[in-house]
Amino acid sequence: MMLALVSAAQTAGDSKKENTPAAQTISDGSKEAAAPVNQLSQDESDRLEGEKRFHSNCSRCHAAPPKFPPRTMGTIVRHMRVRAMLTDQDMKLILRYMTK
Amino acid sequence: MSQSSWRERAAQACLFALLILSSAVLRAQDDELKPVPVLTGSTAYFTRVNAGQVQDAPSVSPLLLLPVGDHLLIEAKGSLSDTFTKSALGDYNGVVGYGMTYAQADYITKYVTITGGRFITPFGIYGERIAPNWIRSLQGTPLIVPVTSGASLGGMLRGGIPAGTEKVEFNYAAYYSANNTNHIVATDRSTGGRIGFFLPGPRLEIGASFQQVLQLDRPHSAGMHFVWQPNAVPLAVRSEYVRQSGIKGSGYWIESTYRLSQIPHLSKVELAGRGQQFFAAPNLSAATIKKLGALGIDAREGDGGLNYYFRSDVRASASYGRLLATGRNANLWTIGMTYRFVMPVWPTGGGF
Repeated sequence: MMLALVSAAQTAGDSKKENTPAAQTISDGSKEAAAPVNQLSQDESDRLEGEKRFHSNCSRCHAAPPKFPPRTMGTIVRHMRVRAMLTDQDMKLILRYMTK
Repeated sequence: MSQSSWRERAAQACLFALLILSSAVLRAQDDELKPVPVLTGSTAYFTRVNAGQVQDAPSVSPLLLLPVGDHLLIEAKGSLSDTFTKSALGDYNGVVGYGMTYAQADYITKYVTITGGRFITPFGIYGERIAPNWIRSLQGTPLIVPVTSGASLGGMLRGGIPAGTEKVEFNYAAYYSANNTNHIVATDRSTGGRIGFFLPGPRLEIGASFQQVLQLDRPHSAGMHFVWQPNAVPLAVRSEYVRQSGIKGSGYWIESTYRLSQIPHLSKVELAGRGQQFFAAPNLSAATIKKLGALGIDAREGDGGLNYYFRSDVRASASYGRLLATGRNANLWTIGMTYRFVMPVWPTGGGF
């Protein structure tokens, strides 16, 4: 499930890549260098968005928990999806942030 | 069919169902990134002094989470406590309490989660989100919590979805519950639900709840809730209001917590305060007031306390409250600790 979630989050983010500052900067350079930098930028962007959603959703009720092993975190986030009525996108971004 | 034969067939059916469930769980573990079954929950030890009455109460509330496949989650939470009350002679008498908080199966899709079983009634925010003792900022339960039915047995639809824009999220829950008279898992026949709007930018949530009891005198309840966490300061403000049409009155509580994270030596300290009022229903008979207990009289209460986080999962708490109610004025002291545990019950394949 994690792979599917990560894949879905990456796919959802693809459409935004062209507009990121990093993508605009590297558009003047070689195409070979663009892909990894783009990916790095997207990962960082998703991580920051996940962190933001983690703080805005989770801290509404409780103190920030530590990061657990990914398979454990997958279960906890699924539980919180139901309990806190997280949106599908919030769950994916928070799960990604908590497992990176 | 003889009775022994019937029992054998029932045992075989149970075994078969268990095998099917185990098979599904095992299949879910094939991929190393699949979620694993987890045992979590909390333990606590609190000493309370309520109007001079001393109580010591150790407790444990385990929660088993069993993910199956990509969409299903089975979750069950129980509670066990032993409350020792100090008698006039100075000795302590213990009373064991236990219960099943919820035992539900959730089928999760993008926009809706279908829940079946025993679940916490989706009314307001306290019961579903704040009640666990490792979460609540003040250990005393708000006066208005018993106004509505806290647990349900039946089915529920719920979920959270973007409300047409990234700036607003909409969450909803609608349920139906059957009547159950078993003393451990008692529920009322009722229906109702809750809606809420969450604004991630200002971190503000407002919502409303409704419950219609479908038995006895068939009262209905309506409520509102509010949560705000300003981005600029480590403050949280939460509030709930409820009004019942029957004999259980109305009331509200408002609570705020402030984490002293900007002060280096006090960053693990959280201050909490709560004010609340309860208004008993008018024109209650003496017999009804006696039957209702605390819900039969007007009351006001103010509480203040602090929590110290040794780690994110280990917390010490202390609080003082003053209850003002007709014939029942009281000082309420609480001191104790909570520990929230999380342990996978299946190999996790490593990680952090």
